[in-house]
Amino acid sequence: MALLSFERKYRVRGGTLIGGDLFDFWVGPFYVGFFGLTAAFFAVVGTALILYGAALGPTWNIWRISIAPPDLSYGLGLAPLKDGGLWQIITICAIGAFVSWALREVEICRKLGIGYHVPFAFGVAIFAYVTLVVIRPVLLGAWGHGFPYGIFSHLDWVSNVGYQYLHFHYNPAHMLAVSLFFTTTLALSLHGGLILSAANPGGDGSLRNKQDVVKTPEYEDTFFRDIIGYSVGTLGIHRLGLVLALNAGFWSAVCIVISGPLWNKGWPQWWNWWLDLPIWS
Amino acid sequence: MQYQNIFTQVQVRGPVEAGIPLPRGDDERVGTPFYNWLAGWFGNAQIGPVYLGFLGTASLISGTIWFVIVGFNMLASVGWDPVQFIRQLFWLALEPPPAKYGLSIVPPLNEGGWYIISSVFLLAAVLLWWARIYVRARALGLGTHVFWAFGAAIWLFLVLGLFRPILMGNWAEAVPYGIFPHLDWTAAFSIRYGNLYYNPFHCLSIVFLYGSVLLFAMHGATILAVTRYGGERELEQITDRGTASERAALFWRWTMGFNATMESVHRWAWWFAVLTPITGGIGILLTGTVVDNWYLWGMKHGIVAPLPDLWPTVVDPAIGS
Amino acid sequence: MKLWIPFAAAAGVFVGAAIIFGADWDLPPVDTDQIGYRGSGMYHTLDREDQAALKLANVAPEPPYEADPEGDRAKDVYENVQVLGDLSDDQFTQFMASITEWVAPVQGCAYCHNEENLASDEVYTKVVARRMIQMTQHVNEDWQAHVAQTGVTCYTCHQGQPVPANVWARNLVPGEKGTGLGWSGGQNIVNKAAGNTSLPSNALESYLLEDKPIRVHSLTALPNGENPNTTKETESTWALMMHMSESLGVNCMTCHNSRAFNDWDQSPPQRVTAWHGIRMARDINQSFMTGLAPVFPDNRKGPEGDVLKVGCATCHNGVQKPLYGVSMLQDYVDSLGSKTNTDVPDFTTYKPGETTTMSPAKTTSLEPAIGAGEGATALASAD
Repeated sequence: MALLSFERKYRVRGGTLIGGDLFDFWVGPFYVGFFGLTAAFFAVVGTALILYGAALGPTWNIWRISIAPPDLSYGLGLAPLKDGGLWQIITICAIGAFVSWALREVEICRKLGIGYHVPFAFGVAIFAYVTLVVIRPVLLGAWGHGFPYGIFSHLDWVSNVGYQYLHFHYNPAHMLAVSLFFTTTLALSLHGGLILSAANPGGDGSLRNKQDVVKTPEYEDTFFRDIIGYSVGTLGIHRLGLVLALNAGFWSAVCIVISGPLWNKGWPQWWNWWLDLPIWS
Repeated sequence: MQYQNIFTQVQVRGPVEAGIPLPRGDDERVGTPFYNWLAGWFGNAQIGPVYLGFLGTASLISGTIWFVIVGFNMLASVGWDPVQFIRQLFWLALEPPPAKYGLSIVPPLNEGGWYIISSVFLLAAVLLWWARIYVRARALGLGTHVFWAFGAAIWLFLVLGLFRPILMGNWAEAVPYGIFPHLDWTAAFSIRYGNLYYNPFHCLSIVFLYGSVLLFAMHGATILAVTRYGGERELEQITDRGTASERAALFWRWTMGFNATMESVHRWAWWFAVLTPITGGIGILLTGTVVDNWYLWGMKHGIVAPLPDLWPTVVDPAIGS
Repeated sequence: MKLWIPFAAAAGVFVGAAIIFGADWDLPPVDTDQIGYRGSGMYHTLDREDQAALKLANVAPEPPYEADPEGDRAKDVYENVQVLGDLSDDQFTQFMASITEWVAPVQGCAYCHNEENLASDEVYTKVVARRMIQMTQHVNEDWQAHVAQTGVTCYTCHQGQPVPANVWARNLVPGEKGTGLGWSGGQNIVNKAAGNTSLPSNALESYLLEDKPIRVHSLTALPNGENPNTTKETESTWALMMHMSESLGVNCMTCHNSRAFNDWDQSPPQRVTAWHGIRMARDINQSFMTGLAPVFPDNRKGPEGDVLKVGCATCHNGVQKPLYGVSMLQDYVDSLGSKTNTDVPDFTTYKPGETTTMSPAKTTSLEPAIGAGEGATALASAD
């Protein structure tokens, strides 16, 4: 159960960053390692605190539970557990778990002799999260600027923070980030569809319409050149997808970290630099 | 730091690829292929040729007509001032007809008529392009997965511009063609219908949108990480699993206890991407037709997070005045 | 070689520099007001440099000297004193000195008066000024729901300028004037009155002159066929809300929890004050500004020939409480604190340079529109 047919020969010692051979083992399909232990520790503590926070709150309805950050009056100090202190510890646990997870991915990459692209990409996601709950609150001078941990309460936060700047759709970094989200999804559908269509070509169009043979990358290139005049290629599409996806996350982080620290007016007012360019008169 | 294959360091320059021969009856491909160094740095260096054919040509012509109608209406809306046209370009739009004309397909030309006409051309351009994708795929003996994925996007497009306006009974419900105006419309749409964040299909659509980006980051990064073992040759890896596939699979198995295969990851990808506009379209279609205030819908179904009543003295001053 | 490359690079550098140096970026630290419950995102961040500049720009001046309320009444001492006649001679003189500083410090007395005959109404600004004094009295007495005991004076809006800095007039979109093509539904152009968005250009006229319904939400989860409002009406309302936010230097959170914009139960009390403010501005424009149309010369009207009108920015000038809540009225209670003569002359008979006494038409009197509600179209609070 635990091993795939080809898995045995890949389960070798080494590649760890910390702990040598001490934690170099698997539990079922999971690789553990030193960072597996720290990730589990932070995840268990954080989850337990969320459950504790839910128990303090008025509801056990999963959609309504919310663990809110402290009042702004606590600034960058510690708050009592029931007044946002839980949120602070849960945030520490979350960052601890995420970073542990990324470092564990690095160890797995080293073990498998593959590139570090996945932990790097995960690092961008962590960066976006840290921007929301650490960097921006520190720049604004209070932990209270973090978002609450709750399914719909965090959407209320997103809505209100957007309307703090009157019309968030005019935030240029937000425009860029949303465009990148849509573009990444478009590119993913094209890539997924193309691979599936070459691997599952359907009938061959003959009288009996037999199952056609699986196509080669030459067909992929030809299809996209026929459609739009350019095929980025089997290697390029994965670079493109990764770059688009990471930029979507990066510019999302930018669009929120500039709101407040670098901009306090309505976002539509930002465009005055363009409307007032000296070239128009 | 090991070699991570971020860019192509040695670009091979052989004869350009003409492409797989097309079936009899198809047109010739157009354009002389050439190499571009910058493109080759990132992906394939070869640009062109392209297949235009009837569908492609007709689609491009229709799309151009839509584009020109929108552009000239924008130019006219600033009094034919080319400087203001550029300066205010992001603010300009071609607006759908006002609600008083209902579903009339012939409102006054300068009160939404141009919008209707241009929309017909846009719809034609999109549908012709859709057909072209089907025909091009079959001409090469490929499956029609890209065609169906594009169909999902067209579903959302049709919901916004055709199905929902018809259900609501007027074309004014359609989205204006303009940069900021369509963003104004999107946000005002959410406000009018009581906060789209409480629309469960909007939630799903966002989940699939973010999920798609997450998946592409995971997939793109995984494949790049195993390119040193030839992992980018996915079709070969699907049919004849190599060490690249095995390492890619084991990476995720060891990380999160589960892995896709070289083929199934593309099924995950296709479904996540396709479900984004499908669920989004459902969410838009239900808004105003079936649900009029999503926040109150959320209250009704017990999903709104409780807040303490900070301002108990505030009452609507319109009551009793 | 390829010429486009240097051109594109130059354009890129130009635009990049314009974004970095041209946009009005702020720098931390910032101050933040917490409006709602912790974690709700109902905050208002304020840039310290911007706030310091606003504080300098919105300072209430002290009265020139202490006036003696005793003595002969102004109406007995001077001719043609219609509104301020019950002041003492000293108070009247002090008020004239103050209003000169408030409205026409550069031009002086001659801005409103024929200096040969101070009693004459032949200078049109004197007729306007008298009507504006009536308006100020009306606001201070009848609109305390909005201005409270703080009240307003001429300086609240004028701030040393003959025409207040932030007024508005009808603004037709160029595309509305042409034929054939270019119609854009009264929106989709840079709208300074709505904070630079492309939201509807005529929103102030709809809500602060006419009384188009502001509320667009349904009060039931499912459609019941009673709410005809579309996304377009919502955009109009939003344009008004943008104007209010920009006028007061506040954001949407000052009055709303955006998860349910319409819900009064989740709204801070400022929303009630703002509600009265909208109606006050409408009352001022309907009852005072438009009626003065025959008196104003063309250069004191908007591009479409209508009189200049008040919006929220006219008094607020970018701060939530005009002049930071300093009550200048306390020094002018006798002159501006309550209504005196509310009679309205027939302004169509006014001839600048000829009319020496703009006599009040005794038959008409001002009917203040206190708390004019939205009538039958009003939608009740969501509960």
